[in-house]
This record gives sequence, C-alpha cells and structure tokens, in this order.
Amino acid sequence: MLQAAGLEAGENPDLLSLTDPELIESIHLKYIEAGSDIFYCNTFGANRLKLAKTGKTPAEVISAAVKIANSAKTKASRTAYCALDVGPIGQLLEPNGTMLFDEAYDIFKEMILAAEGADIIVIETMTDLLEAKAALLAAKENSDLPVMVTMTFEQNMRTFTGCCIESMAMTLSGLGADAIGINCSLGPRELKPAVDKLCSCTGLPVIIKPNAGLPDPLTNEYNVLPEEFGQLLADMIPLGIKIAGGCCGTTPDYIRAARKAFEGKKYQPREFTPVSAVCTASNAVIIDCPRIIGERINPTGKKRFKQALQEHDLDYICNQAIEQIDAGAEILDVNVGLPGIDEKEMMLSAVRAVQGICDTPLQLDSSIPEVLDAALRVYNGKPIINSVNGEEKSLSSILPLVKKYGAAVVGLCLDEDGIPKTIEGRVAIAEKICKRADALGIPRSDICIDCLTLTCSAEQEAAMQTIEALRICKEKLGVRTVLGVSNISFGLPQREIVNRTFLTMALTKGLDLPIMNPNIASMTSAVRAYRLLANIDKNAQEYVANYGGETPAAAAPAVKQEDMTLGYAMSHGLKSDAAAITAKLLETTDAMEIVNGILIPELDKTGAEFEKGKIFLPQLILTAGVAQSCFEVIKEHLSKTGGGGVSNGTIVICTVKGDVHDIGKNIVKVLLENYGYTVIDLGKDVDPMLVVKTAKEHNVKLVGLSALMTTTLKGMEETIRLLRENHQCKVMVGGAVLTPDYAQQIGADYYAKDAKQSCDIAKEVFGQ
Amino acid sequence: MDYEINIAEAVRYMGYGGLTPDEGQMKLIADCAAELKEYIKPAWIYRLFPIEETADGVLLRGTSLTLGGSDIKEHLAGCHSCVLFCATAGAKADELIRMKEKEDMVQGYITDCLASAAAEGLCDALEAELADKLPGKYLTWRYSPGYGDLSLEVQPKVLAVLEAGKRAGVSCTDSLLMIPRKTVTAVIGVSDTPIVKKRQGCSKCNMKDKCTFRKAGEHCGS
Repeated sequence: MLQAAGLEAGENPDLLSLTDPELIESIHLKYIEAGSDIFYCNTFGANRLKLAKTGKTPAEVISAAVKIANSAKTKASRTAYCALDVGPIGQLLEPNGTMLFDEAYDIFKEMILAAEGADIIVIETMTDLLEAKAALLAAKENSDLPVMVTMTFEQNMRTFTGCCIESMAMTLSGLGADAIGINCSLGPRELKPAVDKLCSCTGLPVIIKPNAGLPDPLTNEYNVLPEEFGQLLADMIPLGIKIAGGCCGTTPDYIRAARKAFEGKKYQPREFTPVSAVCTASNAVIIDCPRIIGERINPTGKKRFKQALQEHDLDYICNQAIEQIDAGAEILDVNVGLPGIDEKEMMLSAVRAVQGICDTPLQLDSSIPEVLDAALRVYNGKPIINSVNGEEKSLSSILPLVKKYGAAVVGLCLDEDGIPKTIEGRVAIAEKICKRADALGIPRSDICIDCLTLTCSAEQEAAMQTIEALRICKEKLGVRTVLGVSNISFGLPQREIVNRTFLTMALTKGLDLPIMNPNIASMTSAVRAYRLLANIDKNAQEYVANYGGETPAAAAPAVKQEDMTLGYAMSHGLKSDAAAITAKLLETTDAMEIVNGILIPELDKTGAEFEKGKIFLPQLILTAGVAQSCFEVIKEHLSKTGGGGVSNGTIVICTVKGDVHDIGKNIVKVLLENYGYTVIDLGKDVDPMLVVKTAKEHNVKLVGLSALMTTTLKGMEETIRLLRENHQCKVMVGGAVLTPDYAQQIGADYYAKDAKQSCDIAKEVFGQ
Repeated sequence: MDYEINIAEAVRYMGYGGLTPDEGQMKLIADCAAELKEYIKPAWIYRLFPIEETADGVLLRGTSLTLGGSDIKEHLAGCHSCVLFCATAGAKADELIRMKEKEDMVQGYITDCLASAAAEGLCDALEAELADKLPGKYLTWRYSPGYGDLSLEVQPKVLAVLEAGKRAGVSCTDSLLMIPRKTVTAVIGVSDTPIVKKRQGCSKCNMKDKCTFRKAGEHCGS
C-alpha cells in the first residue's frame, strides 16, 4: 500500500508516521472499513537500529504511529483494535550473527515502552526463535497488553534459521504468548501444510497472515487475486485457525474478500492435549519413549573437567557435548558449578557455546535460582530445569521460573528431612511438587519426577523401592520420570553390569529419562534394545541403523598400530591411533619428552613442508588436529598425576570488533596450542577494551588479531591503539585484506601471512 | 533452482594452487561437499529495475538506490535495466561450518571453502535462470558492491531494496558484513543489443595488492 502510494523500495516506511500522517491514517481507515478487526500500526521497523541514521527515536516514531492509529479508530464506522507492530531488528543474534540476547531484549523493550495507547502487541515476521523470544519476554515483562507472535516459514516448514513448527509452538506457548501463528514468505496455498501442523502443536489461538501468493521474481508482482485469497483463507477454518489476515502484496480488497468468504463460517475449536517435550529451535524431542540424557557435562569427580572450567575452556565443553551426541544422547545435562568460579557467567557461556554447535536440547542443572534464571533467558528453545525438590525454599524459588519460561522441570523426591526411606514417602513428595506446580498452571506433562537412585552397596533394599516409587508416580500423577542411573553401583566392582541391569529394570517400569553416560556403549545399547523390545522402535529401524549391516570399514592403515610410530600417525592424519600411541608412550616416557622429542619436531617438519608449498593448509590442519588429540591425552594424564604441564607462554587472540569471519583465527589457535602456548581465545566481534583488559589481567606478551574485511580493519586499528595506551605487549595481525605495509601502518609489530607464521612469531616473542 | 558446488574451485580456495589433492583428501572433500549440499537451504532473490544514469552513478528507478561511481556506470553502459540479486548458502551453511570446526578443524576448513563455492554456484545458476527468463536480452557479467569504486556502503540499501531480510534471511552488520557469511549480492546489466564483454580484470579489484591468487600468478574468478 505504501509503495503504491509512492514509497520507494528500500526506503524506511516508519518515518511516514511523522512526515505524512494523513497517508497512514487513510490506509488504516481503508483496512478498517474493508473489515479488519485488528490493524497494525506503522511501526514494523521502528527500532533503534533501523532508525539510527534518521535522527529519530523509536519513542517519537512509535507514539506518532499509535496516535494516528487511534485517530483512525475514532473516525471509522466500525470497531477495530490497533496493534503495536514489532518486526525483526534487522541484525541477527548469536550464533548466526553477533548480537547478544540482552541487546536484542533492550531494543524490543524500548519499542514496547513507547506503545502507550496500543491495544495489542504483535511480534511478526520472525525467523530466529531466540529473537522472537527476546521480543516476547520484553513484551511480557514491560506491558500488560495481549501479545501475538507470528514467524515466517518456508516451504520446507522451517524458517531461514532452521526453526521448526513444533519448537516454535512449544517455546512461545511456554513463554506466555496469547496467540501464535505464521506470516509472510508464501501464499495461502503454500502455507496450508504449515498451518495444519501448527494447529496440531498448540492449544493457543492460531494466526495466519500469508502473502498474496508468490511474487514474480523479476517484477515483484504477486499471483493470487483477492477472491481466491479469501477463499483459500476460508478453507483453513476447519484446521482451527482463529485469526486471519494478509501480508505482503495484499490490500484492503483482499481483506474485504476474506471477510466475505468467512460469512456464515465459525471458528472451529480444536482438541489439544499438551505433550511432554523439550526442544532447541531446530530440534523438538518428544518424550513419548525413553530418551537418553547425557550426564558428562558435569565436573563432579572429573579433574580434567574442573581444569577446563577453571581455564574457561569452552572448546572442551563443546567436545564433551559432541562426543555424547555422537554416542546417542538426546538431551544434554549442563552442570558447571565449581567452588571458586562464577557459576552464572560460566553457565551462560556454556549454554551459548553448546547451543551454537549442536541442536540437542539442554537440561540446565544448578541449585542456584539466579544461575537458572540467567540461563533460561538465553536458551533458544524449551529446556529442562534440574531441579526442584520438596523443600519450601526450592518450591517457591524454582517453580515460578519453570512457569515464567515455560520449561520442563526435574522434581526430586526429597525435602527438608532428606530422602524418605519409604516408597510412600517419596510418592508423597512427588505429589506435593505436582500440586504446587498445578497451582501455578504448570502442566503435569512438564514435570519429570526423580525418585532418586541410592547406592546399592550401602542400601541394598533401596533399588527396588526406587523403581516401585517411579512406577507409582508415573501411574498416579501422570508425570514423566527421570533417574540418574550411574550412582546405583558406587563402590561395587564391574559397575557397568549393575548400571545396565538397573537401567533395564527401571525402563520396564516406566523410566522416561535416564541420566547416564552415553559414551558407554552397553548403556546406550540397552536403551535402544528396550525401544526395540517395547515396540517403540518400529521395524527395528533405529536398532538396525546403529548395530546392523555393515560395520564401518575403517580404511585399513598400511601399518598396524603396534608397529606405527607417532610421527607416522601424525603425518597420515590418524587421530585415534595417535592418541592410543601417546597413551602407551606415557606408560614409559615422560610427558615433556614426548612433546619436545616427538610432537614438536613432527609439527616443525609439517610446517616447513607447508612453507615450501609441498603440502597445503588442509594437511597442515590435519596434522595439527592429530597433535591436538595427542596433547589432550597428555593433558588428561597430567591432570590425573598432578603434574601441571608447562606452558610456553600465554597469548590472547581474537577476531576484531565488527568481524565475524573467525575460521582463520581458529586455525591459528590450534597451531599455537600445539606448540605449547596457552591461548586465550576471546572469539569473534570482540570489543577492543576486552582485549586490553584480558591482556593486562594475564599480563600477556603477545596478542594476535584477525580481520577479514577492509571495513573491519578499523576495529583492528582501534584495538592496537588501545593496547598501546594501556599495556606493554607485542601485537601480531593477520587476515585476508592485510599486507605487511598496512600492518605496520596500523601499529602492529608483526604481520602473519598464515597460521604457520604466527607460530614462528610466537617463538620469536617468547624466545624459544 | 539447481546449483553445483564446483569442487575444483573449492580446492583452489583451499590454497592448492593448480595442484590436485591426493586421493584421501579428495574423498574427504567430496564427502564434505555431499554433506554440505544435503544440509544447507540456499535462498536467493532478484528483481529487475529500469535504470538511469545520474551524475553520481546509476539510479535504480522506483527505488532510492543509486549505485555510485564511474566503474558501475561503465559496466552498465548500454543497458536499459539491471537485475539486482542476492544469493546465499544460508544460515545452515554457517551452522555446519561452526559445528565441523569444533569436531574436526580440517573438515571445518574444507566445508568453509566448499560453502564459498556453493555461493558462487548459486550465482551461476541464477545467471542461467535469468538468461532463460529474459529471452532475446543480453546480460553483463555480475558486478558486486566493493568491486572497483562501487562502495560497500551501498550493501544495506541493496538488501533493503530486495527485502533480503525476510525473503532470503540475509542481514548486514554495522561493519557491512553480510550474514549468513556465504552470501553474494550483485548487479547484472540487461541490454537489447549485444554487450562488448570486457574482461573482468584484476586492475579494478580492491584486493589487487593483497590477493594471494594474484601473487601466485593466478586469479580468483573464472
């Protein structure tokens, strides 16, 4: 409509509320008179980022827009409600982009606070579930108005960022949206399957606001005319939609036609029973059969993990996640509590890092409500909270979080008096937790009761009691059940036998969520075999896929492992062989001797070949990756034997402010670590002051900066300038657009043309 | 739209020069390419605009977008219209690279180079589609912001005109980087008469003094 009225493509339409209020009002009136019950204010892009270059604030633009809408309402011949229209920020949140959750929240909050006079808040055209969540939380926390949220799906029923309909429905419903739906991208015909799916996934009113068909790519003209559009919308009434409208390419004629097509037709209520499920944006895990929760992201009893937490080593945590997922974990428990570290900061970092590299839902595990609250905000999807228990303090602090963020929760059968000895005692606590949850409106499907596994060697009668309590809770309370399995065998020999049998026994009595170590093959296979025998794994598909058919034919190395040298394994990229040989060597050889006598010379050799152009970057990285797995074995060994390991020096590296291309920096990191340097990796798009602060805090002698684009070189220059003012150190720079001359010009000490050279520079600086 | 990932091109991005990786490496690269193609969901949009030359550059009529500079004027000389387009390997490509990097840096690096080749492949496919949709017209090669004296500053406006945010999931940071990372925007001139194809030489390229391809006596494009 605005473009038809003369707005040029690419121009900011929001400013028209200030420059041409009559035009905007006349358009509102046309829609109301055509039959719109809800109309959107001209505020879609009125956020501080999109308005930045206009000199106008969101408050000015939004209050003008709402004023126009209200004026239109008074002039119209029929009643209509005006909605504050909140569109995407225009910049992507991490991990796709660089924006942080809190920043997005703040931008939306500013819009919400300016919406005085609107009747409804509409969040629309969202493709990133986390951005939709930021907007919805901002609306719920700063306004009492009803909130509708619609997202934009493509033909494959996913958004551009991969969000699926199930995840969207359960996340936004849980967060308290009043209606949810789909808008933009496609026409009503193409969107029907998505609408059908959404109607089956939520009990909330469903909104559908399609485009006028598909645009001609060359001319941008849409291919569905008003009558057909109205009819196609009316055809969706039987699916259970409640609110319908038009997006791109539609006009008041389309609304009039829809109104006409709806005549004599009524909203058809749907039956909806909530299901037990958790999700990330792109992966919904329905708890309709036993699902494996991986327990390994937890420092309890693990020296190497504790060390990783103390060193803020997020790569280590991510690797723990990947390893468990590969082994069969379907949900990951995340516990990063350790005395002496800032658990809230660590939890936030861990959640952001893990959800950036996998789509497995998380179970947020902490006893501190503030830690959980922080993690719940930034989590992209619906998580499980681990845990609440029967103590008053826990019930009153944890359950409100469960409700507010729409999470699932683990309920532990213990209270002020400890773990009840009897079955009845545990069931009674489970019941108490359920009743308190009921009162807050938390559905039973979101409660997972943990009847608690006690150590069998200490209390032998307890195992059967736990299983019996679990059975009763599930039957009587209609909840899901969860158990940490491994504790059962503590203090016994051959623990795996006991764990596996206990797991199987509990599964037959209704255990839904075993918390266990999925890396132990016999445990994961027990769950898979159970799913087969219980007729859940139809036609044994999953079972056969995992255990049947061809055993992966590992390309037989020309040399057997027994005869292989570490050097051979490294140059041939044989990671697991190299790790095994290193472990074997450690039995007889000093760790530092392996490092200095074998690993480093081998790396030097590879580096030299790379410089001569005999091998290329992929092979250099390959060898470095193998070396990394050897170093991991050595690290593990040292942390067990108490040896500290020697660092050749500490280096801070990052991709500078404004830049998101970090693969080069990541390759440099691997190589530097190989040469025994402690690398503090600040990531990408890093604030210059954070570099300075970190460099000072650790008193580092060398800082490495990376930038790919001409436009981000100023971020590099700024970082160097601030470093010079605040800290004495050498700076090396690298990246596609840099040259030795330019490096010198912006004040760097060294230009590294590739990852190999950055290692040479480090050697020079640290004098080895 | 069907597109190809040109593996030879990706191998060049990996730094192999004119050489071919050994059999094991080639197998790994082929596996990564198959996985990438399966995993990503590319998107593209294009639109035809009549153009007029102005004092500062070329104006796309019906928009307030002027492609500034003399190089673009020269590029579009003799054209009455141009097609503005955006093609992206999508957020899933960035995601896969991110995941691979954590799991295995070699595969991460290979996938990164393959995703660049995928974006190029999309552009090629898109060009072929345009030739189909515009029978009897002559098209220039594609010209992107940042090339010659067409400033990168124009990028946000290009994306806004194409509504690339909602139609392809592409956005632009303050420092003018496009996200998803493997994204190309470009202009193709449309003429009724044959266009004298000027070679896409390195002399107009802003990377000419820094380019590693050029130092090795090669060039980046085809």
